Amino acid sequence: MKNYACYLLSALLCCQLVACNKTNIDTSTTGTGGASQEVSSFSLAWSEYPSWSVFGVADENGLVDKDEGKLGSIEKKWGVDIVLKEADYDTCLTLYGTGTVDAVCMTNMDSLAPSLGRDSVAILPTSTSDGADACVAVGTEGVEQLAGKTSYGLEMSVSQYMFERNLEILGKSVDDYPFSNMDPGAAANAMQTGQEKIGSIVVWNPFVLDTLRKRDGSKVMFDSTSIPGEIIDMVVVGKDSLAKDGGKAFACAVIETFYEVNRLLADPETHDETLIALGAKFSNLPLEDMEIVVQQTRFYKSADEALGLYEAETFQNEIMPKVVKFCVDHGIVETEPAVGYGDPEAQLNFDVSYINEIQESAMPAE
Amino acid sequence: MIRQPISPITKIVLGLASVACLIAAYAWLSHRQHQINPKDSTIPNLSQFSDGWERLTRVPAKSEAEGWSSYRECWLWEDLGATYGRLFLGLASGVILSLVVGLAMGCFTPIEAFFVPPLSFFAKIPPTAMLAVYFVIFGTDIELFVALIALGIFPTLAQAIYQAAKKDVSSHAIDKAYTLGASHAEVIWNVIFRQILPRIIENIRLQIGPAMVFLIAAEWLLTDVGFGYRLRIQSRLLNMNVVYIYLVILGVTGYLFDWLLSLARRKLSPWFGE
Repeated sequence: MKNYACYLLSALLCCQLVACNKTNIDTSTTGTGGASQEVSSFSLAWSEYPSWSVFGVADENGLVDKDEGKLGSIEKKWGVDIVLKEADYDTCLTLYGTGTVDAVCMTNMDSLAPSLGRDSVAILPTSTSDGADACVAVGTEGVEQLAGKTSYGLEMSVSQYMFERNLEILGKSVDDYPFSNMDPGAAANAMQTGQEKIGSIVVWNPFVLDTLRKRDGSKVMFDSTSIPGEIIDMVVVGKDSLAKDGGKAFACAVIETFYEVNRLLADPETHDETLIALGAKFSNLPLEDMEIVVQQTRFYKSADEALGLYEAETFQNEIMPKVVKFCVDHGIVETEPAVGYGDPEAQLNFDVSYINEIQESAMPAE
Repeated sequence: MIRQPISPITKIVLGLASVACLIAAYAWLSHRQHQINPKDSTIPNLSQFSDGWERLTRVPAKSEAEGWSSYRECWLWEDLGATYGRLFLGLASGVILSLVVGLAMGCFTPIEAFFVPPLSFFAKIPPTAMLAVYFVIFGTDIELFVALIALGIFPTLAQAIYQAAKKDVSSHAIDKAYTLGASHAEVIWNVIFRQILPRIIENIRLQIGPAMVFLIAAEWLLTDVGFGYRLRIQSRLLNMNVVYIYLVILGVTGYLFDWLLSLARRKLSPWFGE
């Protein structure tokens, strides 16, 4: 008899587990439903990087408020609540891919894999790597000497792309230049502490500038200045999120926030403090190095510059196909996502309509 | 009633039921996710898992080996070899080190006094947090992984062995052995070590989890083969069908290892009981 009671108890437990799950979903749907009656709320995941820390600075300046339920000046203007979630870059990608957040800051290359599972819209280019990714070597005079020496960097990332593109431009064979996986922070650390084995690293800022500064004899072999406009930092929004109530207002508010902070950067009066705020968590580099950082991470600081990139023939017909081919060749994506330009059917759609919207609505005089 | 015994069959049935519940809950979650988004890759379904398995066991196109031996070049085999090779080397070094130091501490008071402060201090510091120090001392190759695991489990394991050697062996037994003419070495080996062996095995068993955490964390950053490396790259690309298979393999091998150690304890020290 007691045995049956036991079974009953465990069966009950199981039912309860399932029931718990169910109620969770119910509350979550009613939760968002309730919010949309007032102001709909959208989340943007960002990681520390010069052109993405812009959103952190916007929060500090009161343009947006990172918390749910609180509005900054731009949020009030567009009637939308932007929730900022700061996380590590890789975590941001996972958050976006799993649909936990509505939008994310990521590069054009890294947006291909998530767009296979979640239709995505690239609403805004924030910056391009123009020297921010580099191959730094010690005890090597030039690219010729680098042959046969292993370079360490993050595999299947913009580092490897920059590495192979430069070799291609220099007319070298990739087979002669071994590339091995290592976390960029760890690689920079190993080189700075003088590890014999780590003679060449492929990393991004702040690790590039930091290593050049801390390791005597370290030299840039080549960097992304040879491929400006190929590694692009962007804001990407899920198509499902854009389709929600207020989705368009959210996209516009994000773009306006970005340009507003760029205006602060351009204004001589607010330039220094904005730049220091941008660099505060990104690195411990001093102000003069941060000036170099924002040159090497060239911002698309106005709507015109952004349109100049996304609408360019070379970007659509040469650069993106090249990036896609790289991703397919390296197994980053197994199948090619459909990339479109203003094409609502595409899996990854570079859509300039939101930038146009901002350009047309002149900034309010404050 | 509390602690009422159950029949072996009930035990097995309940165990299977919990596994079935887990699988059912997962299947339901995956089904729900695919209804929201048919292309979802975060909670893979069965066909996605079989794609993942195919990817894991795919032999590179450029491979020249034939037949079964060609599978040595697939991801799964390479990663298993790399990670478990590192784990066993690290665990073995850590266990030997802890055994020597722990026993010596439990037996000789000067050694005890010398080692207690640093051990209690380092036992609370995650070794992964001071990776830079390890770089400088051990480089970035296999030595680093071994050192990280060995020194990571050393403080806790050595302390456990030292406590057991000191507290779990009665002075009577030691005095008796001395009276019968045993040397120091004989007392340590035949009296102390034999008596605390089951405790040592239990503590090694408990340290496998932390050792694995240290190893995966280091592989996450430093290597181009191994579970940590593959998990990082693949979860970055949202290939959860690969990631979850790896997690299952980690869990199953962990369970197996646990069971083997329990078995060893029962065989080596049958007097200790369950």
